[in-house]
Amino acid sequence: MTCSAADPQELARVRRKIFLALFAALAVAVHALEVLMPTPLPWFRLGLANVLTLVALFLYGGRAAWTVSLTRVGLGSLVMGRLFGPGFWLALAGAVCATGVMILAWRWWRRWFGPIGISLLGAVGHVCGQLLIAWLLLVRHAGIWQIFPLFLLMAVLTGLLTGWIAVVLLERLRQYAPFREDE
Amino acid sequence: MMRPRQKRMTRGDLLLAILLLLVALAGLVRMASAPAGARVVVSDGERVLYTAALDEVKDVDLEGPLGVTRLRIDAQGARILASPCPLKVCMGMGPARRDGELLACLPNRILVEVVGPQAEEDYDLLSR
Repeated sequence: MTCSAADPQELARVRRKIFLALFAALAVAVHALEVLMPTPLPWFRLGLANVLTLVALFLYGGRAAWTVSLTRVGLGSLVMGRLFGPGFWLALAGAVCATGVMILAWRWWRRWFGPIGISLLGAVGHVCGQLLIAWLLLVRHAGIWQIFPLFLLMAVLTGLLTGWIAVVLLERLRQYAPFREDE
Repeated sequence: MMRPRQKRMTRGDLLLAILLLLVALAGLVRMASAPAGARVVVSDGERVLYTAALDEVKDVDLEGPLGVTRLRIDAQGARILASPCPLKVCMGMGPARRDGELLACLPNRILVEVVGPQAEEDYDLLSR
């Protein structure tokens, strides 16, 4: 341990692993809290767990974002007892689309969009993914896209909020040395 | 080593947020300006399970794969009162009364559609 800690590259790798594990664990906890929290609309959730995916993306890149979001859906559903239930597939589709969109946007348009913009695109991706899988698997009816404007509005509002939280969190984290040298 | 503090919201973020909001609002306005519907058609996505006039006040129990979804039709339109699905998206959608409006309970495969008075032929298409 002492000899590996002296090697700065090894140190960075270990740090990265530990922080990723922390982010994923936090995401699972936030996800569980959100599921349990009563909301005005029964299905409405803020998507706060996505903050951790965003932070992982901006600190460590695309693969890290996949790790956090897929761990969150898998473990989160397991903890809440919904693994492989009907809601699980919708959640998985939403998470996969959101993460995919965020990573691509981050790769291509990082110059124009900060975490808030990426979060917005992720939220829209989430809605599209959910509706798409619902349309494919559950209801083959074009009318299902009628819900889209309402969902989109919600996605924009929650996307702004989670993006904002991610920005503040990133600012705070970057004050600490372990997060400074990346990128 | 200190990097200059970045702006929290870039111009791109702001433009994107405004654009998405406009798209969402335009969609909502378009839906809200549709004419009032006349009939309620319930299907499971393929077959029609039930239809009723929108001006008859009543509660209907609809059987889906998960259990019974309760639909209420009254002066506010059609809305889902109770559902066995996990997320209750359908209950959160509130009442539907305009032509083309839709309540969907995806897990329980219940699709409630409000149609206009001229839509009789569509039933045949749906129930084919």
